[in-house]
Amino acid sequence: MIKIENLNRVFQDGSDEVQVLKNIDLEITDGECVILKGISGSGKTTLLSIIAGLDRPSSGKLLVDGEPIAKLPDEHLSAFRAKRIGMVFQHFNLLEHLSVYENVIVPLVSTDISKDEAKQKAEEAMRLANISHKAQMESSRLSGGEKQRVAIARALVADPDLILCDEPTANLDRANSLKFIEIIKHLHDMSKTIIIATHDPLFDALEFDHRVVPMEAGEIISAE
Amino acid sequence: MRSSLFWDFLLLSFVKERKKHIGVIFISVVILFLLDSTLFVSSSIKHSLLGALKAQPDFIVQRVHAGERIDMPLEWADKIMDIHGVSSITPRVYGRYFFEPKHAPVLIMGVDFLDEQSHRALAKLISKTDLKSFLSSDQMIVGDGVMQYLKSHFYSDAYNFLTPKGKFKKVKIAEVLPQSSSLLSNTMIIMPIDLAREVLGMDEETVSDIALNVPNDDEWENISDKISALYYDLRIVSKEEVQKGYENLYNYKGGYFLILFLITLATFALILYQRYSTLYSAERRHIGLLRAMGWKISDLLKFKLYETLIVIIIAFVLAFVLSYGFVFGLGAPLIRQIFLGGGEIVNAAPLVPVVDGSVLSTLFLLYAVPFVAAVLIPVWRISVTDPKEAML
Repeated sequence: MIKIENLNRVFQDGSDEVQVLKNIDLEITDGECVILKGISGSGKTTLLSIIAGLDRPSSGKLLVDGEPIAKLPDEHLSAFRAKRIGMVFQHFNLLEHLSVYENVIVPLVSTDISKDEAKQKAEEAMRLANISHKAQMESSRLSGGEKQRVAIARALVADPDLILCDEPTANLDRANSLKFIEIIKHLHDMSKTIIIATHDPLFDALEFDHRVVPMEAGEIISAE
Repeated sequence: MRSSLFWDFLLLSFVKERKKHIGVIFISVVILFLLDSTLFVSSSIKHSLLGALKAQPDFIVQRVHAGERIDMPLEWADKIMDIHGVSSITPRVYGRYFFEPKHAPVLIMGVDFLDEQSHRALAKLISKTDLKSFLSSDQMIVGDGVMQYLKSHFYSDAYNFLTPKGKFKKVKIAEVLPQSSSLLSNTMIIMPIDLAREVLGMDEETVSDIALNVPNDDEWENISDKISALYYDLRIVSKEEVQKGYENLYNYKGGYFLILFLITLATFALILYQRYSTLYSAERRHIGLLRAMGWKISDLLKFKLYETLIVIIIAFVLAFVLSYGFVFGLGAPLIRQIFLGGGEIVNAAPLVPVVDGSVLSTLFLLYAVPFVAAVLIPVWRISVTDPKEAML
């Protein structure tokens, strides 16, 4: 369970302070699919980054299963990211010089699992993301939709219980966006907790249980 | 972090990003090649010289006026021989002679008909010439460099020396000293002592200096004091001092270049540091991404350390092999001129393969430590920032 209480994030812009998140209160239960909806600059990506442990709040509380992750030392925070978080970035953020399989395996390099186990996990993740057939292809040669599926496979490889997606369909055409939503539905069926930051209208009419949390100017308008 | 997956990924990453490393390896190899070559030449020459100098007499006694060596009376040798503890004594006749038209300097050494020590040393070097007949005629044995010079000026059998009295003295070339001895004998001409005196314009009863041996090491200081007390204008040079003089000379030459190369290395490290400290955005994103995927700071540093060590080892081994071949296979063209001189008389002494382990390890550390620091410090600085910031 994710519990956010009175969370603020302030950036320093020269001598000015820019408040990107204002008094955020939000609770997300296990297995829930939450859509953070809002236009660019509404603060949804920043909130997602803080939940993923990639950024730290300026004030307020963020608890994941009761653990204040923003206060964890690097050793534990890295382990949290490696084992519990699967992140899909807007621009995919693949290592272009590596193949699909090699990209998928990257999060496992820092863990304790064996080579064989890593291979099994990578194959399973690629199967779930429907990209197994391109396993040996260099990432730079993939289409946008394929890159997105590699990013999903990479996010799934460590079998995390929390999947975070930042504008996942921003660089995809409609067909690929629908394919992505299919995969998300499948992950939801697997009881993964999913948080998606997006402004894509396609997410307004999802055919599975979800909650839309609208955001505007760094604030949650309604968390219901 | 289990090692097999880590190593697999490290090697995979290294191979796939080889273009990124090739430039750094190339620059490293060039710098290390020059540095290794200089050190190999310096070590080899020092080794050969110190080996040759072992056969030197324990002391050399010179007469000095105004800080310069001048000739001394032969009879002083008898006074020195009278000192208890002195086992053998060799009055020596030598001096510089300049070949015209290019004023090429050579060293003329006179060998005494009665001096057995010189005979033995000379007999080891020459094969064709009968020493006794050589010492009783107007002949000379010349170093390899001298022979090459004479040949290039069309003197292949004899040379007409112009004595200080204005007369020409024709001296036949009896033999050429082997190239292997060229380090010491390249510009040397050996001739009977009386002939040497005539060419150099020295009186019959004078010598250049006196060499002597003292078998008991404990007596060295005592005997040195006794010799000094004989005449007020004597300078006594021990074998150790001669050796140190040579060592200092080559250390100086090697050191001069070492400083130049260290400056180059430091510049190289600075370039690397600058490159990594302003890590281009792709590299920053790469680090941020790995952190976002759950890599710890220590994982990243370990990864970059090993990646850098692979570059360092490849560059170091490659430079070592190339410079070894260049110095001991090809004879280190250009660099050897710095050490052996590049004047009119060329020294073609072969370089004996000598690799000084301590020098090599120092060089490795001088290269590896700044390199590793230049890479790891900026990587660490990025790693400790939040992954989101690094990925921006």
